[in-house]
Amino acid sequence: MDALFAPPAETWRPISPRWKSLRRLTTVIGVPVLFTIPAVLVGVLAQLWWVAALLWAVALVIVAIRVVLIGRTYRSWGYALRTDDLYITHGLFFRSLVAVPYGRMQAVEVNSGPLERAFGLATVQLITASPASNASIVGLAPEEAAQLRDQLTNLGESQASGL
Amino acid sequence: MSSSSTAPVGQQQLDPATPLPKKTERPHPLTPLIRGWVVLVAIVLTVGRQLIPDGSENTGLPPVRWIILGVVGVCALAALAGLFTWWFTRFVIDDEELRIETGAIFRSSKRIAFERIQTVDLIQPLAARIFGLAELRIDVGSGDNQTKLRYLSRADATRLRDYLVARAHGEQADANKASSASLLTDSSATDRVIATVAPQRLVGAFLTSTEFLMSLLFLIGIYAVTGIFGVALYALPAVIPYAIGLISLLGRHVLAQFNYTLAESGKGLRVTRGLTNLTSQSIPIDRVQGLRIIQPILWRTFGWFRIDVDVLGIKTSHGEKDSGGSTSILQPVASRDQVRAVLALVLPGVDLDRLTLHPSPRRSAWLRLFDFWTLRYGWDDDVVISQRGWLIRTREVVPHEKTQSVRIEQGPLQRRLRLTNVHIDTTPGPVDLVAKQIDALVARELATSQLDRAREAGRRAAERRSRMASARPDHLAGPAEPAILARFGIGRQDLLGAGNEARVFALPDQTHVLRIFPVRDCNDRAQAEEARLDGLLKGFEHRPVGLELPLIVERGHLDGQDFRIDRRIRGTDLSAVLRATPSTVSRRELLLTYLDAAYVLRHLPVPTPQWARLIAEPRVFGSLADLLMDQIHRATMNWDLLSAQVGDLEQPLGELKAALDQRRCAPALVHADFCPPNVYGVEGRVIGVGDFSAHAVVADPLMDIAGAIAFIELESYPDAAADARWLVGMAAERLGDAEARWLEVYRRFYGFYYSMDPTLIDWCAAQIRSTGPAVG
Repeated sequence: MDALFAPPAETWRPISPRWKSLRRLTTVIGVPVLFTIPAVLVGVLAQLWWVAALLWAVALVIVAIRVVLIGRTYRSWGYALRTDDLYITHGLFFRSLVAVPYGRMQAVEVNSGPLERAFGLATVQLITASPASNASIVGLAPEEAAQLRDQLTNLGESQASGL
Repeated sequence: MSSSSTAPVGQQQLDPATPLPKKTERPHPLTPLIRGWVVLVAIVLTVGRQLIPDGSENTGLPPVRWIILGVVGVCALAALAGLFTWWFTRFVIDDEELRIETGAIFRSSKRIAFERIQTVDLIQPLAARIFGLAELRIDVGSGDNQTKLRYLSRADATRLRDYLVARAHGEQADANKASSASLLTDSSATDRVIATVAPQRLVGAFLTSTEFLMSLLFLIGIYAVTGIFGVALYALPAVIPYAIGLISLLGRHVLAQFNYTLAESGKGLRVTRGLTNLTSQSIPIDRVQGLRIIQPILWRTFGWFRIDVDVLGIKTSHGEKDSGGSTSILQPVASRDQVRAVLALVLPGVDLDRLTLHPSPRRSAWLRLFDFWTLRYGWDDDVVISQRGWLIRTREVVPHEKTQSVRIEQGPLQRRLRLTNVHIDTTPGPVDLVAKQIDALVARELATSQLDRAREAGRRAAERRSRMASARPDHLAGPAEPAILARFGIGRQDLLGAGNEARVFALPDQTHVLRIFPVRDCNDRAQAEEARLDGLLKGFEHRPVGLELPLIVERGHLDGQDFRIDRRIRGTDLSAVLRATPSTVSRRELLLTYLDAAYVLRHLPVPTPQWARLIAEPRVFGSLADLLMDQIHRATMNWDLLSAQVGDLEQPLGELKAALDQRRCAPALVHADFCPPNVYGVEGRVIGVGDFSAHAVVADPLMDIAGAIAFIELESYPDAAADARWLVGMAAERLGDAEARWLEVYRRFYGFYYSMDPTLIDWCAAQIRSTGPAVG
């Protein structure tokens, strides 16, 4: 990991490894389903089965790439709590690093969709006054997510700054 | 708060000799007509379309005269309804508030206290202007609906606007002082005009602006190309959206900015503009989150700039068609000097020219061939800047303390070139500060140092605010103070303390204190409040509770200022004692007696056994929830600042009300301002409680305990937060968990209620956001 996305302290805190399983599942099932619908439509309505085959091939390629890269994608996620800010990094090709001061956090939400719940995962989302902040951490264990939320709320209260 | 009552407003019937308070006025008679003209036009259009003969349809329309009769009938009904509403609508200017009363059967009265008013805007929609009328929009800053007063004659509207603004600033105002507002402009007597834009310059600037020219070229290009191929006609439907876009550009940049005037007024800037809808829009300076300065390439020869501003709380669209929406354009066309003047106001002390701007490295040419050489970024102690573009040169400025978050984004191509983008996020608006394509290592440093700068700037801003707040007590010292002090044989050195309302001096006999109030309206209302407080305190004498309580001994008046002699409570205020007690054990012993004192106040006698507000506008309520929600709604003047930190206020408010509805307890006295500065201690125990004020109510006595604990967090000694958490635990032990959970509910009440003091906003936000008892 290069210097630009190096952790502010010793190391990034990782997300739960179960996220990899979730990601594998959504990729292997989700992507083909997504491509099957137009493929079938094109094939049935326009009888262009070669286009449908092409679409399925594309889907297969995407699935393959994602599954192969799942390990690295998982490792690219990380967060770190410093004295005054929270850092979140993610992304393999399009990397991103967000730093949010605790005082700017308006609310901290912990959400868990049905699939996430099945894998025992939750997403923590920080809400600031700017919607572009987009500071959210996926794939956390629920206890960790709740603990993080409480920690952030306390830090946010004690450091609240006006707008 | 009820939704906006669009009450039509009346014609002034007063002559200048009438005294100030209690003016009752009626709407202008033409109001229903103006409000209805849109409806009328719509009806006519709809019916008219039906009437146009269309050969292919067989509509079986009734004969024409029935239709006309129908239209006339509907219009008559509408007019009658409008007349009815008009008859029963009035607005009243009272001592402390503006009241709008509407409704014949279901009377409703909307009250706006003067000090809650944030901005008053004057709008002249097209229809109203024809008749010489105008609309006033009053913003009380609680986030949602503005109150609209429709329609006043122009002169009355400006007069009322000036009066409301002056009262909102706490000044005495003369409602009959004339100020000018003409058909095309609007200015208040106190405004100082900074910049205007002549119509020729506006139009010329628009015609040479890059946006307009590009759109025009695009349209012409499409037509040329399609003309060559002979398919011009088919291109028409595709081109229509662009044409519409062009027209709306014209509307936004020329029609809406016609006769633009920028003035400095009171709390900020006022922008007056508009050809069809004349709008007067106020921009409070401390709500500005960022600026964008734009210069299209052709404007460089003239030296013109445009300034867009990112303002907290400017809604991007109002509901109605004929309302002048507020835009984010601060100056549509400005010369360099005018830009400097505006920047001096909005960003005081910042000199943009002296900033060193760093360019992006040459390799960014691979990714941004068209303008890589124009990319710049830079910062100084106050702001961070980014610059880009040559067709439209854009420069974005964000003060450090308005930084919400910092983001570093890097795509795969950027990674090969070791470049990255750094975003400084602010609230939604035209300003999007991105330092594009900068070197990766520099970016990391920029991002991390930006956070430090943001924190530093936020701390400085908070210091400035508290300095301004603490500077107030000296401002309270009125001109008669020396005379009053002389009468009692004491001097300024005997000052014991200064609060928000009075300066307190010790009298020589050591058993009384002298309280001098600032210059204020000596009106009946204040006298009545004093009398009620006096009665309440005298009532306390009948039932000793083991605490020393205040008592008003004498009230007086000298040279325009009121003063009062109170019985002095022994000891030192707890704030000072806590600061001077480093030992945690002794402090916590003291705090236990503090909690005991809060518990004991409920035994004091009160004038009424029902839920009631006692001192200011005394009123009895049917339930605890009604009383407390009414208290909250009298304290909404700073809710825009509050919701900036907390987000949505309606939901916590709703939850608070629902929780209060569940509370079952007996009404008793609540001090409601039970905090260490108001409590007195001697030798490690609390022995007295003072400063009963207009906050006192008959409510749930648990509120004082909740307040006692919550207000500890405002103390400035190092272990205050820890002591507060410990007190929560102690209270839970004593009261039991069932009762103790109500302490959290009341904590939130105080968060909303004390937002009336802008220096406490941060603490208030923390109270509202608190999730549960942190037992420590």
